[in-house]
Amino acid sequence: MKALFKTAILSSALALGVGLAGPVAAQDDSIYIPNLAYRTGPFASTGTPLMNGQRDYIMMLNERDGGLNGVKLQYDECETGYNTEKGMECYEKTKARAVVTQPWSTGITLQVLPKSNVDKIPILAAGYGFSPMSDGKVFQWAYNPPSSYWDGASMILQNISGGDLASLKGKKIAFLHLDHPFGKEPLPLLEAMAKKHGFTLVPIPVGLTEMQNQSAQWLQIRRERPDFVIMWGWGAMNAGAITEAVKTKYPMNQFVGVWWSGHDGDMKLVGDAGKGYRSISWSVPNSESGLMQDIKKYVVDAGKSQINQGEGEFDSVFYQRGLMISLMLVEGIKVAQDHFDVRAPNPEQLRWGLENIKLDEARLKELGADGMLVPFSTSCSNHTGHGGGWILEWDGAKFVKASDLLQPDRAEIEPLELEKAKEYADANAPWPVNEECKM
Amino acid sequence: MEFLNNVLVKPFADMAAAPDFLIQVLWEGLVGGVLYALIALGFVLIYKSSRIFNFAQGIMVVFAALTLVGLHERGIPAYLALPLTLAVMFVLAVSIERVVLRPLVNQPDIILFMATIGITMFLIGFGELIFGGENKVMITEQLMIPTGSFEFEPFGGFVSIEQKDLTAVIGAVILVAALLYFLNKSKIGRAIRALGDDHQAALSVGISLSTIWVIVWFIAGVIALATGIVWGARAGVSFALEVIAFKALPVLMLGGLESVMGAIIGGLAIGILEKVFEIYWGQPLLGGNTEAWFAYMLALLVLLFRPQGLFGEKIIERV
Repeated sequence: MKALFKTAILSSALALGVGLAGPVAAQDDSIYIPNLAYRTGPFASTGTPLMNGQRDYIMMLNERDGGLNGVKLQYDECETGYNTEKGMECYEKTKARAVVTQPWSTGITLQVLPKSNVDKIPILAAGYGFSPMSDGKVFQWAYNPPSSYWDGASMILQNISGGDLASLKGKKIAFLHLDHPFGKEPLPLLEAMAKKHGFTLVPIPVGLTEMQNQSAQWLQIRRERPDFVIMWGWGAMNAGAITEAVKTKYPMNQFVGVWWSGHDGDMKLVGDAGKGYRSISWSVPNSESGLMQDIKKYVVDAGKSQINQGEGEFDSVFYQRGLMISLMLVEGIKVAQDHFDVRAPNPEQLRWGLENIKLDEARLKELGADGMLVPFSTSCSNHTGHGGGWILEWDGAKFVKASDLLQPDRAEIEPLELEKAKEYADANAPWPVNEECKM
Repeated sequence: MEFLNNVLVKPFADMAAAPDFLIQVLWEGLVGGVLYALIALGFVLIYKSSRIFNFAQGIMVVFAALTLVGLHERGIPAYLALPLTLAVMFVLAVSIERVVLRPLVNQPDIILFMATIGITMFLIGFGELIFGGENKVMITEQLMIPTGSFEFEPFGGFVSIEQKDLTAVIGAVILVAALLYFLNKSKIGRAIRALGDDHQAALSVGISLSTIWVIVWFIAGVIALATGIVWGARAGVSFALEVIAFKALPVLMLGGLESVMGAIIGGLAIGILEKVFEIYWGQPLLGGNTEAWFAYMLALLVLLFRPQGLFGEKIIERV
């Protein structure tokens, strides 16, 4: 009994010691990067390759370079299952040590947004989240590079109109979307564009329980006969929509998705029947690039990756997009390290780093990621970068680049962003605004 | 006036104007209904024999389908992968009985219900660990399920019936018929029903609770596999299949938790009615996605008049 008591005391003391010493040691020796990941649940098929990519980029840096400027990067996942409540639990659990929050769902992003002003931890929502987060004056702690959903919607409209938005007049566009904050996000812009350019927008929501049985939605599409279908799908919704489109014999060349609807794993279900389906994307896979060769050498061939090599995950759009997301984050950390001359920047310093990212073509080439990511730069007022995107097209076996770099119609989008950002700030008053930030 | 016209006249006018489209809507509703009925059957069987509401039925669908596809991915041909998957489902049934249910005999229903939530969590983690979270292609062709479609032009219109949907409907009918025969005519089936009627009486005449539980969980596993194959053939095999279990809840409320016929009729009714309502009322008048709640509203309406569901047993307890 006495021995047991001694062991308990010793264990408690050790646990307390580790608990207290841990963060201090971490501040010197490593940078803690949590990721509110989702590898389980209905969206796991989308999340798994993205998380694998994010994880492997950090691992490659640790293996190849010993971290970043000699500081180990400590990547850690907290499983949310893409569930907003679980996401908030993960946020609370990791925030004490976190240098950044990667919420990985528009729903979680919207919940974390107000907290970011209080906890002062930057949010990195790469290519997702609330589009007006681009306004850095209002959303001081939130970043959604390199393109926002509204940028994506604008580029899709440009693509389907052949660059002439006036040609959409009188046309009917179905907007097939997940009935979730993510799916509804581009609606304000699409509605404004429909009004301005004279096309009819038919929003078609898909509920969580209907993701795999979208016959009602596609019967509506059959009845409405839209000229184009734009899809804002995530996870199992993509595969459900694409199989129904094939079944309905909807012309694939009139069907375009957002970047989260361009997943090799979903398209493999239909193979050749999906030929011609397109998705807008701010990343392009390039397995021959210097970066990918390093990933292969230091992580995959070393048996440290979790990717499914038999399924060709290494070459997939989502795995390589996951790598690009970590690349953007690490670039922000490096900018902060260099600017503040610190080994491990704190969240406030990283905030500065994220709004001073300059990932131009030369820098991407230097990182071995030439042509894999749209070039962009952020600033105090521009937290997105608005780098644009390419059209990827499914050729029956893989996605291939099918356009030059497209740019969003910023003249249309920016006023709406500023208006909605102001609306958000007013609705959540008192909301701190960075007045020093010049537009 | 316009509102009344949109609710009471226009939907029926639309149906009459495009009868081919109505046939397509009814067919899609029927296919959906068959699938809902299959999931609900898994719940009913387990509830009938053990009074356990099996929260894990949805994840069992995922687990069975993933096992089948996962075995095939590892180089096992479909004709072997199928019986091997059935063997895995049997082992799962034995394990659940031994590890989870047997130690909890005589515990309150809520404890057993919580235990099935535990089984769900375990199967999510275990399935993810073994098979990963990626969307997988169901081995439809290897299982000899036809993949083309029959196309008709009734009333000058167009109706398309997917052969795999037709196979699903025929397969489900055969499965249900076999199940009903098994439950009503076989010795084990009668034992299952006896346990459902009165545990104590069944035990007193020598029916083994543990054996029946294994059999029932195995049958639920077989139904889960059939459901997983059918749903997986439509939109791939992933953890998203688990979500469809929620569609079975209103079916159970409507049909009654103890009735096999209730599950079948409830499933078909909800499948067809929710589709017709969505297409002719939901999309034009309510912005769509009424399938998310229509079935629950229908079940609630039924519960107002028949709290035990359409086919459930009326329980009178004297206090």
